[in-house]
Amino acid sequence: MRDGSLEERFSRREATAYEAAFLAFGARMQTTALRILRDPDAARECVQEVFEGLWRRGHSYSPARGALEAFLVTCARNAALTSLRAGRRRRQTEQHLDVDDRYTMEEDPIERERVARALAQLTEGQADVVQLAYYKGMTLSEVATELAIPIGTVKGRLSAALRALRRTLVVGEPA
Amino acid sequence: MIFGAHVGDAAELYAAGALTAEEHAAVEAHIAQCSECLRRVGEAEETVLALERVNAVQSLRPSNVAPFGRRRVPVWWIPVAAAAALIVGLLVPRHGLQTDVATVAMLHSHFAHAQFVGNGPPAKVLYARDRSWYYVIVDGRHSYGVYALRDGASAYLGATQSKGRVSELFSSVATPFDRLELRDGGRLVEAAAIR
Repeated sequence: MRDGSLEERFSRREATAYEAAFLAFGARMQTTALRILRDPDAARECVQEVFEGLWRRGHSYSPARGALEAFLVTCARNAALTSLRAGRRRRQTEQHLDVDDRYTMEEDPIERERVARALAQLTEGQADVVQLAYYKGMTLSEVATELAIPIGTVKGRLSAALRALRRTLVVGEPA
Repeated sequence: MIFGAHVGDAAELYAAGALTAEEHAAVEAHIAQCSECLRRVGEAEETVLALERVNAVQSLRPSNVAPFGRRRVPVWWIPVAAAAALIVGLLVPRHGLQTDVATVAMLHSHFAHAQFVGNGPPAKVLYARDRSWYYVIVDGRHSYGVYALRDGASAYLGATQSKGRVSELFSSVATPFDRLELRDGGRLVEAAAIR
């Protein structure tokens, strides 16, 4: 099956397209959720909830948006971040830290190098914001507090950083 | 409201998961009406996907990579296996053990299989248990660069060559590796764990 037809059928909310999308992209989504949640069961549950939510509530995806995989991975990432932040708030309330670090992931050296080269092109301020907002899953206000800078500056730096990363990682301009 | 007539910078913030629930919902509502901003959000999501591909192959290993014997054999693999058996059966009696290094190595080794996992076509590697040779077979005629890794260091083994419906590479090496990668134009496509 070609992705184009899958994307069109997914945008029309056909049940078989949800199943096909789960088979095609579920593993990638689970990997993304796992990196954030560090718990295989929670990651699996997160992906299932994403699909259930998209099915129940509908979604804004259409082929004009771009790749279905990118949309779904972003959904999984956002759901995992929401879950992570909720867990953080719960732990702060309970004054109890219970981070499960038993599941450690090996990094792929080739991709890591490619992304590292792209990240190295960012300004120091942009790199700090990406590190906290993207990799550590902090909200914009948390990043602003951590770096002691206005939230508007955080927004500007993160947005500019992702546009720069897009030029290098997606469009293919040299790093 | 975090943006004006169009989402602007909020597109990247949305894709990065850096917005509050209310801001996130505002972007969703806007892109449902605005094709220009929908495209910009889609582009930002592609960047997120590119960043998420770091770690992807290795972190699939615990749950998604199963030994060859536990997986259903794909249809494309059957003629390849049959052809390999035919080659072994025909070449060796006729030409002796010096003519086909791949056949010789395969005949005289206990070998194992592993499946490549990633975004590419179905692909497998047969390899000697002592890891002295690797035979990579990829569905389709496209040529991929084959890299072998151990302890983070990589070595280029060569490019797969088109042969019928598949593309293949046989490599006899002195160094045992624990991971093989297929790359296309330098970009990682899929990888197999060698155990």
